[in-house]
Amino acid sequence: MAMTPRLTWLEEKRLQILLGNASLSLLYKQSAHGCSIQKMVQRCSQQGPTITMLYLQKSIVGALTVDHIPEIVDDSEKQCASIFFIFQKDSLTVMSTLLLNLLKVTSDYLEFCSSDKLNFWIYPKKRVFRKPDRSVNRAVINSSTDLQYLECEVFRVEGIKNDLGYIKKMMTATQHKNKLLADLRAYKPHADLVSKIRILLLGPVGSGKSSFFNSVKSVFHGHTTRQAPEGSDNTSITEQYRIYPVKDGKDGQYLPFMLCDSMGLDDTDDEGLCVDDIPYIIKGCVPDRYHFNPFNPITPKHPTFITSPSLKDQIHCVAYVLDINSIKSLSSEMVAKLKQIHEEVLKCGVAHVALLTKVNDCDEVLQENFLNMTKRMTSWNQVMLINQMLGIPLSNILMVRNYASERELDPMKDVLILSALRQMLRAADDFLEDLPLEETGKLSSFCSSCKALVFFEKTLSYTSIAWMGPD
Amino acid sequence: MAVTTRLTWLQEKRLQHHFGGKQFSLLYKASVHEFYSKNLLEKCCNQGPTIIVIYSENYVTGAYLLDSLQEERDVPVILFALQETEISEYKIGSHRLETLFYDMYRNAFENKRVTMSSKVNEELGLPEPCTTTFQECEVFRCEDLLDKRKGEGVTGTLLFAMSTYKPYKDMVHQIRILLLGPTGAGKSSFINSVKSIFRGHVTNQVLVGCDATGISKKYRTYPIKDGNDGQCLPFILCDSLGLSEKEGLCEEDIVSILKGHVPDRYQFNSMEPITSRHHNYIHSPSLQDRIHCVAFVFDANSVEQLSGEMVAKIKRIRREMIKYGVVHLALLTHVDSMDLITVGDFPDIYSCVPVKLKLETVQRKLGFALSDILVVSNYVSEWELNPVKDILILSALRQMLWAADDFLEDLPLE
Repeated sequence: MAMTPRLTWLEEKRLQILLGNASLSLLYKQSAHGCSIQKMVQRCSQQGPTITMLYLQKSIVGALTVDHIPEIVDDSEKQCASIFFIFQKDSLTVMSTLLLNLLKVTSDYLEFCSSDKLNFWIYPKKRVFRKPDRSVNRAVINSSTDLQYLECEVFRVEGIKNDLGYIKKMMTATQHKNKLLADLRAYKPHADLVSKIRILLLGPVGSGKSSFFNSVKSVFHGHTTRQAPEGSDNTSITEQYRIYPVKDGKDGQYLPFMLCDSMGLDDTDDEGLCVDDIPYIIKGCVPDRYHFNPFNPITPKHPTFITSPSLKDQIHCVAYVLDINSIKSLSSEMVAKLKQIHEEVLKCGVAHVALLTKVNDCDEVLQENFLNMTKRMTSWNQVMLINQMLGIPLSNILMVRNYASERELDPMKDVLILSALRQMLRAADDFLEDLPLEETGKLSSFCSSCKALVFFEKTLSYTSIAWMGPD
Repeated sequence: MAVTTRLTWLQEKRLQHHFGGKQFSLLYKASVHEFYSKNLLEKCCNQGPTIIVIYSENYVTGAYLLDSLQEERDVPVILFALQETEISEYKIGSHRLETLFYDMYRNAFENKRVTMSSKVNEELGLPEPCTTTFQECEVFRCEDLLDKRKGEGVTGTLLFAMSTYKPYKDMVHQIRILLLGPTGAGKSSFINSVKSIFRGHVTNQVLVGCDATGISKKYRTYPIKDGNDGQCLPFILCDSLGLSEKEGLCEEDIVSILKGHVPDRYQFNSMEPITSRHHNYIHSPSLQDRIHCVAFVFDANSVEQLSGEMVAKIKRIRREMIKYGVVHLALLTHVDSMDLITVGDFPDIYSCVPVKLKLETVQRKLGFALSDILVVSNYVSEWELNPVKDILILSALRQMLWAADDFLEDLPLE
């Protein structure tokens, strides 16, 4: 009688991550402990949160409950929040989830159901179960909707939050991540004015600028990466201007954005990025790998200075990168410097967002459906501080936790990183859409792209039509 | 609401060690499931070997049951007491659960008090009979730490990934990984361990050519062959003279190695770095000759004792690597000799408390990101491979190859 879970070890690891880094202890295994409900409930009742797993050939079906399973009393019924799920075997991709709120134990079966009569029903003696389905009368046994399973196991789940909304969110984070990935792969800049959006990362030393690029790359590669050097020295590790394209996986296509990494800002004027360098960076005059000098900003005389940058060379969105835990302790010099930079950015008319890194409560940042940020998060005070300090709209203050200490990717962190990236691209689109015609017209003299020329001609046509109106 | 054990990580570890490297799954907890032996039996019968732990005011005692607990059946029992860092035990033969509790603990459940017989006290080395308050009773299922699921499948996947790995855009045929670190850290042992895994049994080739003290003085580049088809694998491990405060590898030599100027078997000289006048100097190295990833190798047990000079030297070298864009990681060896760490911990090694503390120390001292610090246990005295040990070594190697891809992707276009 082997008391070994049927899960492979990798599946168990994935399940643990899915449940928010919980640990699992096998309590009941049908093939070892017998097929009566009494035997199951004897072992599994009063054990805290448990997960009941039914193994099929290619999938795993079950329910997670955060309340105790009740002890068996004839036909006992209990308010018991649970979440029904279907996982694909091996990858443990979540295929379906459903919240249920009642648990019923009879001498023959275990039933999880909702107030509107959806039920997930397990009948161990016959190794059959029924999936939640509105159209089936639950009194009918042995109907065609009853399905056979191979094994039933129940685990205690330790270290899990006592919040089904959170758990459902964790389970569906992967689905949402995949949707975001698809959206970002398919993204095209506004009116195809440029082929790649350039996002400039600006912020104090150690705020996580290079780490954000590494994290974005990690999400698209599926494992942690370390292309941009990071470190814990007190001075900036990044001394060069870097324009990083990102590939969709090691052998994939380039994605339609680039992340531009700069030297960190310092309190004093003798260290860190020179504020006078910033307008040139934004205009696109600074070449990739230019070595910054805190004392001497780049000038048009520099041999690699780009004298006539086109729209594609310039920065389309600036992200101020700040450690969320250091905002309250920013020195007055740093605040003044940030405001000075912000004025330059506003003067250039470029889109801008704030990116707060090192968020501790990743799971609280977004609503359960991932569509919006919540205000319930403990970091909301910091968001308000940035809103007041720089006047950045709340919806453009983004929060992430970069991959710095982690060895495995986490769908919730992936979602935050990809959501932030999407918001930056949306902001950049706003910038492109707002460009005056003469700015877009420059394309005709710098770029041989047919699309651009066609766009330019169409613009003239529309103008002509308007001019020939009744007046 | 949640049901969790009272055992500290250390207590659990000591019990695991004592009873043969088991992993514990909590099945019954008296304060939740009520103080009735019937309830205990319901939850814990037919679970394989189990361990009963009783917490009293002054110490932890219990019984290890070698077979499944079953109703009306005797089971072999070992009583134990856990005090500070020691476990004493007393084999009492076979007992049924009911008689076990009645004879040994005299109505402990009903009265919530523990009184053990003089004989048991004597055998376990406990103080003279006294009655102490019964605080908690927990029962765990004992499973082998080295669950088969954890070894073989994962190793096979990793081996395949290493064998079929292709460098980024096929820019080079083989990734060169340079091992740097203090003398005696385990650089050569790591190379031997990698070779062993792909050969299928333990090998010690890398020690050939060293002097009597076993210290490498030559620069060596070791291609690794796949044991199945004899083909060279897509990476080369490069071994160098150890770092030390005074002698050891010149910092100037490191730059030459990174750029690919140093030929295989070059004899290092602590006092004199290689120059272009050396007869084997590689004047125009190609990308293939360069180093694509560096691993700093440290002994996990002595990394805290690195001198200030050595730390400063390592930091200077790291700065140099950042300048050249070479991605680098830290590799801690001898993880199995850390307190209470066994091979059974390897699959979840980064979750173990002593390892976490060690990594945080390395981060503070040397500045590596936590996720850039890898741990391994090299093959030193073994003859045959252990799949669980292989996982750490292959996982570390995979991280190095991923880091090398990052390096290649970051190269400026030429």
